[in-house]
Amino acid sequence: MSRHKLVKNLDLDEELDDYDGDEYGYDEAGEGGGLEELSEEDQENMREGTIKVREALPTGTALDSITDKEIQEALWHYYYDVGKSVTYLLNTYSKAAKKAEPKKKKGRSSYLIASGVMFSQAGEGALGSLADLEDLAREDDDSMVQHCSKSFNFAEFFKDTPWFNVPIERQAVLIPPLYPRGGLLGGSSDGAPKMSKLQALAAARRKKAQEQKSESISEVDKPMASLSLGPSTGKAHDTSLDREHSQSAVEQKPVSRGFPLRKRKNSNPHEKAPKAPPIEVEPTQEREEMDLDQAQNDQASPSAFASTMFGSATTSHRKPENIFTMPYTATIVATSPTDAFAGPSPDDVVLAAQSKASKKGGKDSSKTPKTNGEKKADQIASGVEAMKLDDTPRAKSKNLDVLAEYEKAKTKNAANFVVIGHVDAGKSTLMGRLLYDLNVVDERTVERYRKDSEKLGKSSFALAWVLDQGTEERARGVTIDIAMNKFETEKTAFTILDAPGHRDFIPNMIAGASQADFAVLVIDASTGSFESGLKGQTKEHALLVRSMGVQRIIIAVNKLDTVSWSKDRFDEISQQVSAFLIQAGFQQKNISFVPCSGLQGDNIARKSTEPAGLWYTGRTLVEELDNSEPITRALTKPLRLTIDNIFRGGIQNPLSISGRIEAGSLQTGDALLAQPAKEKCFIKGLEVDQEPADWAVAGQNVTVHLSDIDPIHLRVGDVLCSPSAPINSIKHFTAKVLAFEFLMPMQIDVHRGRMHVAGRIKEIVAVLDKSTGAIQKKKPKIVKPGTVARVVVELDHAVPLEAPSRVVLRSNGDTVAAGLLE
Amino acid sequence: MADRRRINGPTGGTSAPVFSKYVIKSPEDGSDRPSRTRPGNVPRKMFLKTGVTPSASGSAYLELEASKQSLTSTRGLASLSTSGLKLTCTVHGPRPLPKSAPFSPHIILSTHVKYAPFATRKRRGYIRDSTERDLGVHLETALRGVIIGDRWPKSGVDVIITILEGEEDQWWGDDRGRAAAGAEEWGMMSVLSGCVTVASAAIVDAGIDCVDVVSGGVAAIIREPKGSLMSTMLVLDPVPSEHQEILAACVVAYLPGRDEITDIWVRGEIGPLRSNEKSFSYEDLANNAVQAALGSHRVLVGALKETADMKMHR
Repeated sequence: MSRHKLVKNLDLDEELDDYDGDEYGYDEAGEGGGLEELSEEDQENMREGTIKVREALPTGTALDSITDKEIQEALWHYYYDVGKSVTYLLNTYSKAAKKAEPKKKKGRSSYLIASGVMFSQAGEGALGSLADLEDLAREDDDSMVQHCSKSFNFAEFFKDTPWFNVPIERQAVLIPPLYPRGGLLGGSSDGAPKMSKLQALAAARRKKAQEQKSESISEVDKPMASLSLGPSTGKAHDTSLDREHSQSAVEQKPVSRGFPLRKRKNSNPHEKAPKAPPIEVEPTQEREEMDLDQAQNDQASPSAFASTMFGSATTSHRKPENIFTMPYTATIVATSPTDAFAGPSPDDVVLAAQSKASKKGGKDSSKTPKTNGEKKADQIASGVEAMKLDDTPRAKSKNLDVLAEYEKAKTKNAANFVVIGHVDAGKSTLMGRLLYDLNVVDERTVERYRKDSEKLGKSSFALAWVLDQGTEERARGVTIDIAMNKFETEKTAFTILDAPGHRDFIPNMIAGASQADFAVLVIDASTGSFESGLKGQTKEHALLVRSMGVQRIIIAVNKLDTVSWSKDRFDEISQQVSAFLIQAGFQQKNISFVPCSGLQGDNIARKSTEPAGLWYTGRTLVEELDNSEPITRALTKPLRLTIDNIFRGGIQNPLSISGRIEAGSLQTGDALLAQPAKEKCFIKGLEVDQEPADWAVAGQNVTVHLSDIDPIHLRVGDVLCSPSAPINSIKHFTAKVLAFEFLMPMQIDVHRGRMHVAGRIKEIVAVLDKSTGAIQKKKPKIVKPGTVARVVVELDHAVPLEAPSRVVLRSNGDTVAAGLLE
Repeated sequence: MADRRRINGPTGGTSAPVFSKYVIKSPEDGSDRPSRTRPGNVPRKMFLKTGVTPSASGSAYLELEASKQSLTSTRGLASLSTSGLKLTCTVHGPRPLPKSAPFSPHIILSTHVKYAPFATRKRRGYIRDSTERDLGVHLETALRGVIIGDRWPKSGVDVIITILEGEEDQWWGDDRGRAAAGAEEWGMMSVLSGCVTVASAAIVDAGIDCVDVVSGGVAAIIREPKGSLMSTMLVLDPVPSEHQEILAACVVAYLPGRDEITDIWVRGEIGPLRSNEKSFSYEDLANNAVQAALGSHRVLVGALKETADMKMHR
């Protein structure tokens, strides 16, 4: 037969009947068994108890009909407590009697259970006490059903109820749900749950055992007793399930809040301290008494704003008693969670029982509880554990004398130069050729570039690719960002900063130029190109590098091969350019010209081999570079390092920055301050020219691995400085600037190296004489191009700047002025 | 790198213009300049109230009254009046940490301090800037020492302070007239002290166990003309707009019950002083800041008592 059929054939009634019968049968059997097991002692108790209860019960009522069996049952449940049994019987049987007579009592309150909330209807009288309610709940069982079954119209109920400010008598009165109480129903006067039979028996036995044993308390008990939350008495605390005790704790509950009372220290030890009171503070005697008055004194009345916001609320906050929000109850019932801590916790009970058991066994427990001292030590240990900080090790400083080390190392002169010029003047190609001829890049690399560039149809760009590494740079054939490369001659180690020529990337060029010691200006000699260049970036770049503080400039007149090495062309260009440069403020002796060809390589690392170019007998470009004087650096000044680049996400070094040290020196383990974030950090490691190093000095380009700082605090253009002599972040400055365009109070961008910030010219203080610096005109409305002026600049954000540093002011993509902070 | 090819609008906040018709006297003559009317050792009166935000587990509102200037011409813009301080604080928690968070044996405290855009005369941005982050960090150190953290493992608490009205850094006339580079953010000091007090009240309101109630106080050394000479003076609870020059200021977060300081912050430098000026040490400064903290502690306790009484229906 299939299972389906089996189910179909089931007789439902029969099955259910069977089930009911079973249950009842079980109950009866259980109870009968319980009574049968009465010992002789119990039987004697029961007999005496029955007689006493009979005496206590009032006669002449319905109660007469109570049978012995019922009394005995009550006695059994209350463990022979006559008083409680009587109350229980009275409650049960008098109620039963009442129920019998027809009930015409008016419903004192009607309940409407709607979405878990009970509303009291207006005008139907105040609620009785909670005890009343409990009775009511039982009594009105059937009347309630009647009420609810009556058709009820919600619209009518809520008809004249406003949305807000519901009158108090219409507000919901939330009545705590009637939780099933623990223990037995009815009976006792105090609402605490009753013990089960088993519990009672256990308690009685334990009491007996306790009495037999002397008052010796186990080792564990002592601290446990002192830990207990109830109001501890002088007597040793019984940490067992002694209900009497926990009940008394419940009764005392409102008095002590159940938390251990801590001994307060003197509330104001500072003021009472014997040391002399701080100056200009009134003497401190009688402070304690004055405190309250003073609090009144110090307290202000709320302002108009505050009183609008909260003023009225104070009065309406007062809630009527016995009206509760849902999850809480008013009177503390034994089942409420706060009471859970009134008695000993289950763990305490188990511990106490275990210790007792071990005591009883007579053997000394091997696991001695921790002594006070050990406990304290544990606490401290856990406290220390909680306090544990970032545990990455901080690099140790070797405490080198960096300057002495630098003297000892006696490295070659280092020089940075920036290559500038109009777009497509051949800057990158010239430098690529230079590196190629000096064997800094090997032939195979250049060959590969040549092949790749031919594929793109730009074979003339092959050498420029040595420096232009970015894909976008290569595809467009223009330098976008500063490219850095190094080479060495016998005398000097050079760093090339190949600047972009395109006018859109002038800010990058400024960033590069700010790191340079001198400049190489590349000029395109081919017909028409020179003229357009002079109008374009040749001029702007030259002015910029001059205002960035570059003194020496080498002019490489490039692409002379395209004009067949014409000396006339070279002379013409030299004449025009030197005239312009002298006007821009370069000195004649600091200007030198080299005719060359970047593509062919003439006069760069080697003398020209072109027969047409033999007229030039001067130095080649490399010789000219080598000829530069060593630059003195501000080694002893406080450290300044402008962040040029930030690298994140390395495994060894999660955060590194690179940049050029402008002043001072640093070493591994040093603390640094990042401005304007004002965050301290530490040097974890250091790289100079891609080689690990322990120290670095001004003029070197370094990569610094940092620790103990969040990367969000660092940005390109920020300054790292020594915490002892930090650079200040400022929002205003006065600067002496050379105007390239008309200047008036206007919005500008202030550039200093990589850093740039928006701001505005607030005030033009004066126009100055170009050579002497004397004031020519005060408070001009406008400054003409080519004049020197003193201006006040206000910045949007505070940035790290200090005098004397050089800044460039740009507006709408044009360089409008450059100058020196004052 | 930032995009430099585009022309961007101003990134920072903007100042509301001050039209000359509202300015009766030019700021340069200084007759409108507010001055301190209360004695040096008296802090401003404070209004503190807890339980202002129903949705938070704890909240408080603090207000320092703006000093009433009897001398000033009543006409003028509201924004030119001397500044007060209005802070609201909400505390959310202790609440369980998200599942993704690593285990923590103690409570994770996070603090957020934000100026409302309209809090100061110069509008603030919507994103937290470095000063706000700074305040948050200081507040966190101040509170960390008070909360008994290991009572709530695996939970977090957020303390969020909104500055509705912030203290000005200097008098508006100074701000406008000079392009002084030394515009230090003195207003921040009073704000931090208020933040500590209000956060403490809100934490108590949230029922988070603390070793004591912490309160904040500020003291400053100021230089001002006395007769023909300039003299230095120590004041409690300085209002930056009332003083021409503040040399140094100190904020402390102080626990009176334990005589402990959980956070101290000194700004500025005292020396070098001129010959006839009274010299003060940094200890004096800190001691006076503690006195100011005691003043705010009294108000704090008063406010907490009031709330407690209300809750107990007394």
